[in-house]
Formats: sequence, structure tokens, C-alpha cells
Amino acid sequence: MKGIRDALDIFNLELRNILHDGGVMIIFIAAGFLYPILYNYVYKNGILEDSPVAVVDNADCSDSRRMIREMDATREIDIAYECVSMEEAKELLRTRKVNGIIYFPGDFGQRLAYRETATFSIYADMSSFLYYKNVLMGSNFVMLHEVNNIKLERFRADGLTDAQADQSVNTVLYDDINPYNRAFSYSIFLISAILMLIVQQVMFYGMSMSVGTMREENRSFATLPDHLKGRGVGRVVLGRGAVYWLIFMIIGIYVTCIVPAMFHFPQRGSFQDILVLLALFVTVCVFFCMSWSTLVTRRESAFILFLFMSPVCVFLTGFSWPTTAFPEFWKYFSYIFPSTFGCQAFINLNTAGANLEIVAPQLRALCLQGAVYFVLACVSVYVENFVIKHRGEIKERLGR
Amino acid sequence: MTFIQKIRTVIRRELRIWARRPIYIIGTVAVMAFCTVFYLTFLGQGVPSDVPIAVVDLDRSSTSRNFCQQLDATQLGKVVYYDDFSSARADLQGGRVTSVCLIPEGFNRDIQAQRQPHFSFYINGLYFLGGSLAWKDLLTMINLTSGAVQREVLRMKGVNESEIMGLLRPVDVDVHQIGNATMNYGAYLANMMIPGMLQMVVVIVFIYSLGTELKYGTGRHLLQVTEGDIYSALMGKTILYTILFTAIGWSLEVILYKWMHFPLEGSLLNMLLACLLLVVASESVAVLIIGCVPVCRFALSIGALYSVLGLSLTGFTLPVEVMPSALQGLTMMYPLRYYYEIYVQTGIFGNPFGDWYLYVLAMLLFCFLPFFVMRRLKNAYWNLDYERN
Repeated sequence: MKGIRDALDIFNLELRNILHDGGVMIIFIAAGFLYPILYNYVYKNGILEDSPVAVVDNADCSDSRRMIREMDATREIDIAYECVSMEEAKELLRTRKVNGIIYFPGDFGQRLAYRETATFSIYADMSSFLYYKNVLMGSNFVMLHEVNNIKLERFRADGLTDAQADQSVNTVLYDDINPYNRAFSYSIFLISAILMLIVQQVMFYGMSMSVGTMREENRSFATLPDHLKGRGVGRVVLGRGAVYWLIFMIIGIYVTCIVPAMFHFPQRGSFQDILVLLALFVTVCVFFCMSWSTLVTRRESAFILFLFMSPVCVFLTGFSWPTTAFPEFWKYFSYIFPSTFGCQAFINLNTAGANLEIVAPQLRALCLQGAVYFVLACVSVYVENFVIKHRGEIKERLGR
Repeated sequence: MTFIQKIRTVIRRELRIWARRPIYIIGTVAVMAFCTVFYLTFLGQGVPSDVPIAVVDLDRSSTSRNFCQQLDATQLGKVVYYDDFSSARADLQGGRVTSVCLIPEGFNRDIQAQRQPHFSFYINGLYFLGGSLAWKDLLTMINLTSGAVQREVLRMKGVNESEIMGLLRPVDVDVHQIGNATMNYGAYLANMMIPGMLQMVVVIVFIYSLGTELKYGTGRHLLQVTEGDIYSALMGKTILYTILFTAIGWSLEVILYKWMHFPLEGSLLNMLLACLLLVVASESVAVLIIGCVPVCRFALSIGALYSVLGLSLTGFTLPVEVMPSALQGLTMMYPLRYYYEIYVQTGIFGNPFGDWYLYVLAMLLFCFLPFFVMRRLKNAYWNLDYERN
């Protein structure tokens, strides 16, 4: 009973500290509530459509003209200029009026007529990979379509019936299904990855700021109630942790459930599953932040020393560069952060519609992390108390 | 004291602060060193290999085995075998494999009898690079398989080899990637992420440097040193920090383009100029922020919010033209945006100065920002009447 009362006292004290600290509140509210909205807004239209492309048609035959029309009709490409020479097209690309060039050489039609392989060229601006993707995909779709038609025509010309020709050309049929992100939308894959990260980072900066403030005011974040005679580290950790846990469960539900709904973002997971993940993730984050914020001695240091970690953490979730291709060192390095597993689990649960069984490996990893960081948080409280109590002695020894 | 003397005193004062508090050097040099190492090593060779592709082979014929072996032999793919579709799908949802390829029963039989068997493959588009690469790999392999079957049929019909090629592949495309011929994802990312981190560090550290004067109440001392002249006080700080940041930035440019040999069409000198401008413009933004909000921690929070968002608003991943129009104007508030434009102009296309001088001018315009808040900052330093914490 006594333990619970102590923990409650610590809970109250910490809550009062947070509520009275304008800086921390600004981070929790502005960053926790506005950032998810801002990011969703930036990436609202995740698909680049109709990239302007210049065409140089030296072949000037019906086939090339048809292909150009078909390319113009794709979602990816907009034939913005038809140039008479490659020089003109290059100038357009150089001045960034177009993002790519499609070039049909003079012998294109002739080669088709001779039943040889006719080659056309595309030149893509690599300043953004999306330009490249558009130019490549648009022209590839048209090419595959044309290849099929021309093949059918040639087989028929060789005396095959329609059915025979179709069987010869389409020996194998295929369906490509991209169930979770149908159009390879940039926003769907990016937003899934960063929502959980926002929870972790906001908590870290907020808690570091609060710890730094106490340190500056010559208080400690870890003072034990006097009547415990140096015991009760767990009560301090749990009491303080409970405050952050409560605040971030609210922010977390907002970030992972309400924000996606506001922006009509796919929500394929069940609410209960996401709640379970969130509860675990926030718990781990609390201990993680408690352990690491011990290193912060001043209010602002967290920004200077750790702000750069936010983008690094995004990459460590493996949402773009596949985890299987991580260099060994960075793979183990990524295990430091709860976000690595939290984000992966959220992507799988929320956006891919998985269930808890499927994300079990991530949940297990989170549990292990939670255990390790709980111990570390306790150790940091213990060490902090030890240092405060024996400050005199330590100074003396160091002095000597 | 003359203006120069005042500046010299401020610089000496600032150097003493650096010596006393290592956070300035750690926050700049160590942070940038870590970021550079991270972005240059994290992506390895710049093109992923062996992404896991699940195969559910219900046919178990020589043809399907051959298909799997060939898929496994590609640089991109690594085949993981599954006995049933549901366990493969679970791993697809769990992100453990990038795609699932389902080879139907009777695949070989149907091919031999020309009954057009039906392949299905599922991609997880939530893990972008892995998913799209697996997709590309699978498409290529299926087309090759189909081509191999067609070739056999044509050979049996007695068509000669040279004609077969024309029949199998009537149209082909050759692709030229301008500015990144090897499709090196590492180069693409590091090129902008590293300057992006530099902008972040400049904004944060410079705000901190100006803000601590308020926080510890040393602002008045700073003004006393310069006999109440805020211009020389700021000038002194700016000169010192510009030297530090530019030295870091230039070493990074040299590492990127000379040591790592990332593609650069124009001259390295252009990039050095862009880097210097990025530093100065970001410093100006920092002064504006601390001048508008002369409370150290508020200014830092705003600076953090501003600079983290800058990485997205630069438009090197998601192009600016895709963003909502309200935000397109907002992107102009970031020096990094102009740095990116200059990089595209000179680094990718090798355009002459005449084509991108406007971006240089835009960056220079940032330098006027501090003048709007000079008086306010001076008053804040002198009166120290804002909340300290």
C-alpha cells in the first residue's frame, strides 16, 4: 500500500512539474499535435502525375506516333513538347521545362517493318527519383502493350489463328497485385513509418527538457522520498513513468488512430490490436527516454545533441532501404531505438492489415527492449541518488 | 574602439565560451561527423541486393524449379520457399518478405500444352525500395520465362535465330539516367541529406549560441564588450560561426564529390559557393528566430520544428510540385531549397552561372532578415526582460 502511495506522490509531483513547464507543454502540444497534421499535409498528394516530357520523333511513322499518343495518355507522362531535334529537347531538359526526353531514332519504323528489334531511348532527370520512375514506368507500360500487339500481328502474319497467336504470345499470364499501396503512393509508405516515430521523439525531447530544467535548478529528477532510506527506486521510475505514459497514450491514440482517419489514410488494422501495440510501445518509450535523458544536463542540450537523430531513426525503421540490406553495424545500432520495431509493427498492423500474431517478432523485441530500458532507468535513478548523497565524498576524492 | 576591434573582442570572447563548454564543438563537428558516416555507410553500395522474395511453388516441376533458381540468381532477388500461401502472406504482411510469387499447380503441364497458366505475385508496397525492386525483378523474370517458352516454340517451327529475336522483342528501350547513371540511391540520398543536416545544425547551434546570452543573462556583457553596438556583436559571432560551419560544409562537399566520387557535372567550386551561401542564409534564419522570440528554449523549439520540416519541404524526395499549393510557397523559406536547386542546375546538368544566379540572389536575400530584428534583439540583450527559462 505504502509503495503505491509513494508512487502516487511522485506521480503528482511530476505531473505538476510538467504542467507548470511552458516549454515542455509547448513541445507536447505543438509537436505532438501539430506535427502529425503538418506531415500529413505535406505528403497529402503522394503521387506525381503527368510529368512533362519532350519527344523527339525522328522516325515519324505511324507506330511511333501511336506510341507517343499512348504515352501521353498514361497517368505518368504528359507529352509537353514535340521537338524537331535532340538539341532542342536537351535545352528543355537543361532548363527544367521537362523531366525527361523520349527519342525515336530515324530507323525505328523501318526496323519494325523489317521485323527486327526497334529501339527507342528515354532520358530521365535524376534530380528526384519520382521523375525517373514516372518516365520509366509510363514508357514501359506503353512498350509492353505495343510489344504484345506487334507480336500478335507478326504471329498472325505467319499464318497462326488468333487463338494460336494469343497462346504463343501470352504463354504465361500474370497478375501483379500490390494490395497495401496500390499506386506506390509516396505518402502511404512514408506516413506509416513516421507516425510512431513522432511519438517517441516528442516524448524524448519533452522529457529531456524537463530533466534538464531540474538539473539546472539544482534539483534532481530522481530524488527518493526520505522515509525510504535509499530504497524504492522502482517506485520513482514507475511513478514518473506513469505520468508520461498517460500523456503519451492520449497523444499516441491521436497520432495513430485519429490523424490517419482525418486524412483518409488506410486503416486496415483492428483498433484493439493497435491499442495493444501502442500501450507496449509507449511503455518502452518511457523507459527508453528515462534512460537516455539522464545524459542531459541542461534544458536545451537535447536539441543540440539529439535532434539529428530523428531523420536517422526514420531510416533505421527500414521503411525505404530494406532491413535485409542494412550493414551489420547499423542493424544492431537500430535495436537501440523502440521506433525501429514500433514503426515496423505499426506499418504491418495499420497499413498492411496484419494481426498481432504476425507482428509477434516486433512485439517480442519491444518487450525485451522494455525490460532492458527499465533496468537502465532504475540504474540511472540509483546512480543519480548515490551521486547526490555522496557528492561531498566524490568531490573530495576527485580533488585528491 | 573601431568596428574591427570590437569584432575581434567578440570573437575572442566567443572562443573562450567554446573552450569552457564543449557542447558547441560536439554539437557541430561530432554531430556532422556522425551524420556523414551514417548516410555514407548506411546505404552500402547504393543498390540493394538479395531482397527476400517468397515463392510458393505448388507445381514442383522442372520448369518451376528452374524459374526459382533463375530468380534466385538475379542480383536483386533472394528466393525464400514456402509450402503454403497463407504463411507466405503472413510474412508479406509482417514485412519479412518483399513479395510473394505464386506458381500454380499444373504450371509446367499448362505451358507445354499452351494453356496459358496464370502466375500471381503480390508486392508489399509499404517497404518502398524493396517492394518496387522485387516487382521489377519478378516482371523481368516472368517476361524472360515467357520469352524462353516462345523461343522454343519458334525454334520448333523452324524460324531462324536472327528472326526469333525480332519476333520475341519487337520494341526495346534503352534508358539513360541523367545525373546518376548508376542509379545509386546512396548518392541520391547523401547528396541532400548531408547538407540538410548541416542546415539543421547551423540553425540550432546558432540559435543556441545567441540564446544562451539571454538565458544566462550575459547579453548585457556582450553589449558592454562592444560598447553597446549590436551590429559588431552579431558580426563577430557570425564570422566565427561561419568559419566553423563553412569549414565543416566544405569538407563534406570534398568528401562527397572528390572522395566518394558522387556524380557532379559542374565544378566543385559551385557547390562550395552554394554551401557557403547555405551556411550564411541559415544563420540569418537563426537570427530572425531568436530575434522574434528572444527566449532561448522557445526559439530552439521553433528552430527544431523549422529545420526538421525543411528536410521534407526541400523537394528532393517528393517534388515540390506535388505538395499542396499552400505549402509550395512555404518551401521558399528554406535556404536548403535553393541549395537543392543550385545542386540540380550545376551538379546534374552542369548549367552555367547565368542559369542559376537567381537562386544565389535568393540565398543572399536571407542575409537581410537579421536587420528586421536587430533593435529587438539589442533591447532583449540589454534589458534581459524576457523569461529566462
